Amino acid sequence: MNTLQTSLDGLMIGSTYALIGIGFALVFGIMRRINLAFGACLLFGASLAIYLEPWLGWGVWGLFLVTMVGAALASAYVERLCFAPHTKRTQSMTAMIASFAIWMQLDEISSQMLPQRTHAYDGLEMPTFWLGEIYVRGDQLLHFCIALISILLLYVLLYKTRLGLLIRATADNPETAYLLGVRVPWLGFIIFLLAGILGGVGAFMILSADGYVTPMFGMWSTFKGLLAMILGGLGSLPGAVIGGLILGIVETHAGASLGAEYRDMVTFGLVFLVLIIRPGGLMGVKIYRTESLAQERI
Amino acid sequence: MDPYLASVLTNMTLIAFLAISAYLVLVVGEVSFGQQAFFGIGAYLTASVTVLADGHVIWALLTAVVGGAAGTLVLGLLTIRLSGLYFAISTLCFAELLRFSLLQTRFTQIIDGRKLGPDGPEGFSNIRWIFDNHFDATDFLLLSVTCLTVLLLLLFGLARSRLMLQARMVGNDPILAQSQGLNPTHYRLGFITLSGAVAGFGGGLFALFNTHIEPAMFGVMLGVHALTYSIIGGLGSPIGPLIGVVLDIGLLESIRQLAAYRMIVFGGLVALFLVFRPEGILSHRLVARLKRRWGRRHV
Repeated sequence: MNTLQTSLDGLMIGSTYALIGIGFALVFGIMRRINLAFGACLLFGASLAIYLEPWLGWGVWGLFLVTMVGAALASAYVERLCFAPHTKRTQSMTAMIASFAIWMQLDEISSQMLPQRTHAYDGLEMPTFWLGEIYVRGDQLLHFCIALISILLLYVLLYKTRLGLLIRATADNPETAYLLGVRVPWLGFIIFLLAGILGGVGAFMILSADGYVTPMFGMWSTFKGLLAMILGGLGSLPGAVIGGLILGIVETHAGASLGAEYRDMVTFGLVFLVLIIRPGGLMGVKIYRTESLAQERI
Repeated sequence: MDPYLASVLTNMTLIAFLAISAYLVLVVGEVSFGQQAFFGIGAYLTASVTVLADGHVIWALLTAVVGGAAGTLVLGLLTIRLSGLYFAISTLCFAELLRFSLLQTRFTQIIDGRKLGPDGPEGFSNIRWIFDNHFDATDFLLLSVTCLTVLLLLLFGLARSRLMLQARMVGNDPILAQSQGLNPTHYRLGFITLSGAVAGFGGGLFALFNTHIEPAMFGVMLGVHALTYSIIGGLGSPIGPLIGVVLDIGLLESIRQLAAYRMIVFGGLVALFLVFRPEGILSHRLVARLKRRWGRRHV
């Protein structure tokens, strides 16, 4: 029964990792870029929410809204400054380094807004209950549902709307999409906004479950998102979801059986092993194969 | 020399080793987020040899070089199939694994009534080599600058060689290099191992200078900074990473009174700078142009 309980806890946490992983996968799938500042954008959103809270006084939902909007704005800013100017194929490194610089900047802005190390971040007051032998935290269950709804909404957006069609076309082949009249640079902006919104939702769920924010949150979420994406497969959205869930489950199990100090070691080890044994990740094999084929033309 | 200034300059030289090691990986077209781990290995090995085994500092630094090189060689062999982002993330994971292992390394001994050796998260204290040998800040600065100069001279010698040209070809276009009869894997492994050796050596000096090291010092931030220095400085010349270090740490230290806001300004400036000079200051093109102009004047 204990194993089941741990797995369930892991699944709850994993759903939030999945959202952050999707943020990375969206950007990578469409632009073949890594946004290192993504975690910092989320931290910025959360800090802004806490900073503005005394003025707005909207309570928990205010926190939720401002975190989401702040993260999306920061993400859009990162796109304008770091990714829009570097569109050539060979410039992915430059864009990544630029986003690292902005990571430092957003980190600093956030710690100016939150001068102390830890700040309380309110969550919803939800009852906890027992389901048979399993202990369920109401707020975590709610978060799981929010994550599920967000992912469903994203699915609808990508597969049922015209914008989604444009996004998928660009992900498949940016040059052809551009020639057929898709405004690819504008689409990049939309993608970053979308990633910021999803990440903001994820950040709210993580922070309100923990109950506090520290300046380390930016780096932490960047790593979790990257690992979730890599685990599932680069640029694959279902992969990022599955990767996030697996990451959550493995992490809680490792923490429960080996102790907290080995938890991160296990996750990094797992991702390293996956990369060595199955470089495309669990789901993104197709992308990896086409990319490596392009590399090995001869 | 003013001890504070000397220690700032020494720090810059030591970080320059790490930046050069990141540069060496970039030469063969790969990106490493993990050089800081080999820096850390070098630091721990040097500390162990000088403190625990009471060995000579030359042996200590040699161990650091070999340790760093061995670490990167293992990483290079394990990731032999990977390239691009996959390689970058695997270096990140490998480096973090090594750092977590350092966090768990406890091997303390009582020597002369003092507890010495790596002690998990507490790190490795009392590396008394510079006190025992009466090095002050200026002496150590001289030592590290000399080492860095020798390394740079070696790299300049290498830059004019066929080997470096071939390595750059592998970095720019592995397929083209292959069709010219080069084996990209050999060049990649060779340069990655070399980068580990450089990082290990720098880490060894770092341990001697700081007298206290702990795993938290060798986090990913350090490695990404080193990478940033290489990119800002430009990949056209081995001096590039050094310029990046001088710009960053030099500027940071000189506008210290603005400490709170300096990253806000500096981060934005770096991003803006990359918009206008995406290849960094000393790009291949600029170096080639300078060489032409210089050559014309002297021929």
